[in-house]
Amino acid sequence: MRQVNLKNNIPMTWLLPVAMLALVLLLPMRAHAAAPGITGPTFNLTAQTAQLNEPDGSSVYAWGYGCNGAPSGYSPAAITNTFCNSMQVPGPTLIVTEGQTVTVNLLNGLPTSAGNTSILFPGFQVAAQGGVTGLLTQEAAPGGTVSYSFTATSPGTRSYYSGTQGDLQVEMGLFGAIIVLPANVPAACSAGLPLANPGANKTARSTWGETDFRLSPSAYDHDKTCYDREYLFQFSEMDANIHNQAYAQVNDPARIAACQVGATAPGCSLQVPTEPYHPSYFMINGRSMPDDMDPNYGLEYPHQPYNGDPHMHPGEMVLLRVIGQGRWQHPFHEHANHVRILARDGNLILSQGDPESLAGRLEFTTTTTPGQAFDGIFYFTGRGLNWDMYAHNPSSKDPNAVLSCTPDANGYNTGAPAAINYFEWCQDHNKPLQVAPFGDVAAGGPITLPDPDIFTNGNWYSGSPYLGTDATTRATGPNSTFLPSNSQANPGNERGWAFMWHSHNEREITTNNLFPGGMFMMMLVDSREFVIDEQN
Amino acid sequence: MSRRIAGTILGLLALICVAGLPATAQSFRVQCPTSTITHPDPGNKGVNNLEPAYTGPTYTGQSTSYTTGNTGPVNGAIKCQQISGGDGYSTMADGTQTFMFSFGPLSGLADMAAGLPGTQFPNVFNTVAPVTLQPGDPATTDAPVNTVLPHVPNLGSFSWNGAVGLEPDPNLADDPACSSATPPSYCTVGSANYALDGHVDPRQIMDIGVMNGNIPAPLMAIDEDDEYFLTLSNVGMIMRPDLFEQHTVHFHGYPNASSFYDGVPDASIAINIGGSFTYYYLAPDAGTYFWHCHITPPEHLQMGMVGQIYVRPRQNRIPSSLTLYQGLSAQQADLRTACKSANDILCSNPLPHGGDNGTAGGFVASNATATTPTDPQTKKFAYNDGDGSTYYDVEYPLQIHGFDPNFHFVGMTFNPEAFVDMKDKYFLLNGRSYPDTVATGPLNTETADGRTHFSQPLPAIINIPAGGKALLRISDLDVTEYQTLASLGIPMHVVGYNAKLLRDQAGYNTDYYTNSITLAGGESLDVILDTSNTGIYQTGQVFYLYTPQLDHLSNDAENFGGLMTEVHICNSVDPKTKACS
Repeated sequence: MRQVNLKNNIPMTWLLPVAMLALVLLLPMRAHAAAPGITGPTFNLTAQTAQLNEPDGSSVYAWGYGCNGAPSGYSPAAITNTFCNSMQVPGPTLIVTEGQTVTVNLLNGLPTSAGNTSILFPGFQVAAQGGVTGLLTQEAAPGGTVSYSFTATSPGTRSYYSGTQGDLQVEMGLFGAIIVLPANVPAACSAGLPLANPGANKTARSTWGETDFRLSPSAYDHDKTCYDREYLFQFSEMDANIHNQAYAQVNDPARIAACQVGATAPGCSLQVPTEPYHPSYFMINGRSMPDDMDPNYGLEYPHQPYNGDPHMHPGEMVLLRVIGQGRWQHPFHEHANHVRILARDGNLILSQGDPESLAGRLEFTTTTTPGQAFDGIFYFTGRGLNWDMYAHNPSSKDPNAVLSCTPDANGYNTGAPAAINYFEWCQDHNKPLQVAPFGDVAAGGPITLPDPDIFTNGNWYSGSPYLGTDATTRATGPNSTFLPSNSQANPGNERGWAFMWHSHNEREITTNNLFPGGMFMMMLVDSREFVIDEQN
Repeated sequence: MSRRIAGTILGLLALICVAGLPATAQSFRVQCPTSTITHPDPGNKGVNNLEPAYTGPTYTGQSTSYTTGNTGPVNGAIKCQQISGGDGYSTMADGTQTFMFSFGPLSGLADMAAGLPGTQFPNVFNTVAPVTLQPGDPATTDAPVNTVLPHVPNLGSFSWNGAVGLEPDPNLADDPACSSATPPSYCTVGSANYALDGHVDPRQIMDIGVMNGNIPAPLMAIDEDDEYFLTLSNVGMIMRPDLFEQHTVHFHGYPNASSFYDGVPDASIAINIGGSFTYYYLAPDAGTYFWHCHITPPEHLQMGMVGQIYVRPRQNRIPSSLTLYQGLSAQQADLRTACKSANDILCSNPLPHGGDNGTAGGFVASNATATTPTDPQTKKFAYNDGDGSTYYDVEYPLQIHGFDPNFHFVGMTFNPEAFVDMKDKYFLLNGRSYPDTVATGPLNTETADGRTHFSQPLPAIINIPAGGKALLRISDLDVTEYQTLASLGIPMHVVGYNAKLLRDQAGYNTDYYTNSITLAGGESLDVILDTSNTGIYQTGQVFYLYTPQLDHLSNDAENFGGLMTEVHICNSVDPKTKACS
């Protein structure tokens, strides 16, 4: 895949068709995210080398953890076509349950001249067996093994990464995530969300034939941590010069000769300068935009199996598991709403005066910090927009345009889980947006939209301000199967509301000097009838 | 003007002559209704030209629709603003004239020049300019060479805050209702018998909007329950005719934003050169937000398309007959304004755990006949706290940003910019580096059209009345790195973060004291500088806000200046002009 910076080189008349074609080609399949990983509690990992694909067409030499043989299993079970190759970035997401004794056996499959490697599991009391003594932990010598075991004492999301020559090895890709699921899921979470109408979200999901892709109904052993959907995002960056130099040194015959398999002599490690640091690749889950929105376990990414393509329905509680890997902080801006920080590094943040209440901050920009993880809850409902986002029209003859909205205790239409306006914010029901709209949409609102001849359509623009196929078709007329942009980023059966989630160090939404790229993905709020399929 | 810029202009003029300008200027328009469903004014009495007191919610109970649930008093008002999207120049503290992609004011010109928000009530916005506006207005210094009359000679007599370009719609003159013996009031504008329906004279918009870029972009301020109509008119970038760039407005941090009005061009529409797009929001929860263009963000943000917007809380409008706690309790009766921790994981201001501490509201209604928005909110708060913990006397929007002069130079040429090695060399508070941060009034820059424009209207000096509290609404839109701002002298009391009150879900405040704050681009927080201990803080004292990132205390090659400003303790501070006396 190749994105080029057309703007400054090619006449505008070429730009639009080329860009549109490129996006159509870039997004051939719908692909959503989930938080996939492998299950244990014993994990046999290896550290190896491979090439990573970047959307500028380059291929970057990297190191990563992978599976040494088939894993015990994969989770969530609803995702099939899984694989765990011997090298991937990020490393396999290790999914365990609170209280389990976790064992990670690591085989050092890096080139012998790369020297030892290891894994740190911050937040756990780790017992290391075998290997050779390193600075921070026991290490696996080239071709050798080491074993780590610990008890998964508390739930949450945490990182794991190399504890050997970290400035180089983490940069090269030796990092991953470990998710500990709660042992005691609270009853409120088992009953299902929303709390105002327990289980209705589950009923809505089954009504539309949607699969449950969660790892658990709750993030912690606490009834304020129930969720409907979850995504894991790991932020990292790469300076290609470091990777190129590492590649040159591991292939240096003199170094190879000096460091035979099994050698433990000091000096068997690379001497790659890691400063000054000029990263040019900025990645979420090991991929840069737009590759991050391709499927999980895509065959074109044998060493970058995890994607970043969040989707959700209005009202769903979405658990974000976010980890800073690499060495820089990144301000991750979630458009559309705030995130309630639940926990940092697996430590639930509760009120000092009331352990039943959450006390984590609400943030619209969540800083990712190297080695640090946070869990947060996000949702979107459209509450307070002051216009009916479903474009209901009481005078229409279309049955979908005259659906009712019956508020629950919180003002949402949760009593009708089979309706396409499930979870509508009822106070704005039927309230028009436009003064004199085209199509089957109520008139009398405050706004006149500009003439379509004087604006430019985005690739994710559904064709109307409204949510879902039904509303957009009524607002734009029947011939709206294709998006006005001619791309299928948000196809005719979806018509979701797209929001950009990205690093707000905007320089980092580029790939090797090309925009768009980097730490950037589109989150889609989908109308209830659209089936969100997080499989692959 | 430097020789380099002059050469560039000649080249560009040649290009413009060859290319011709698109003939779509008639697509400009503004929108500012005086009556809406939410703020009805069927008798055209001007009820939306002022903020009424908040005594109870508009919607009560579990309303089933907008018609049957609307049982309480109408709250809030209508606010409108117009901005240009284009380019311009600013002056750095070392004197360097810097090219920007930028927004400029196209309404509230007088207020903007005085460092105030350009946001206006309909009766101010919907007024026709009393004179023919000239490029550069209301900046003054080109007046001597401008022989075209009539001309506004100086800001002293320039008090007009209406929408640039607005004029009576000639088509409506043909409306039979308007030619009747007793035309309805909507037909009447002054002595003219036409309606102002958003029709504009595009020449006025181009004359004022071109090369009128500001850093920060025009200041916006609205109140909770307001409907806000923001019109963006894309006047094109005269220095970059090779770019057919759209611009957008992203209201950064708005909770439950709509995709359509979120300003992300990929997810919505973006207005082309020669057109206007009106963004519409009901004001979100109170807080310090900010806004920026979302077209090619690493480029347009670095180049200067960043601004500030804040939302004042309902609590400011609570009359003295109610306590703040009672006012916050009343908000619980409307599901839109309620914050109930048990029901909503994203609510940030539940009733304070300490209960009603008896602090009363202080709202005095504005004079409805005033021609400019007055500031009647005699008791001001950053959030709906219910306990008065976010009270302040005077507020200062303070935006952190950074300019990379190399990127801005390349951005003025036709060459592709590189992002990887972007490195800021100017560190800005409200578009200024020290010592410009403490200069009063707007900064001027002579731009490539040979005229002087107000390029940096907002000072960054902090004047606090002795014994008073200053609210710093700090936002950061730097695109390359985290920046730290420290207070030398007065501790920073952080009461809000990312436009939310710092309070846990059990009602305990989680505010804290610190001497420095660190923000990335895309973050905001609220700091109160409290000088109520007059034994320590005395009139005439000067303190400093500065960055301990010492390499940021520079203005490019000058090893002096940068991200720094002064805090003055004054006898009194004018709440509008912020003047120290």
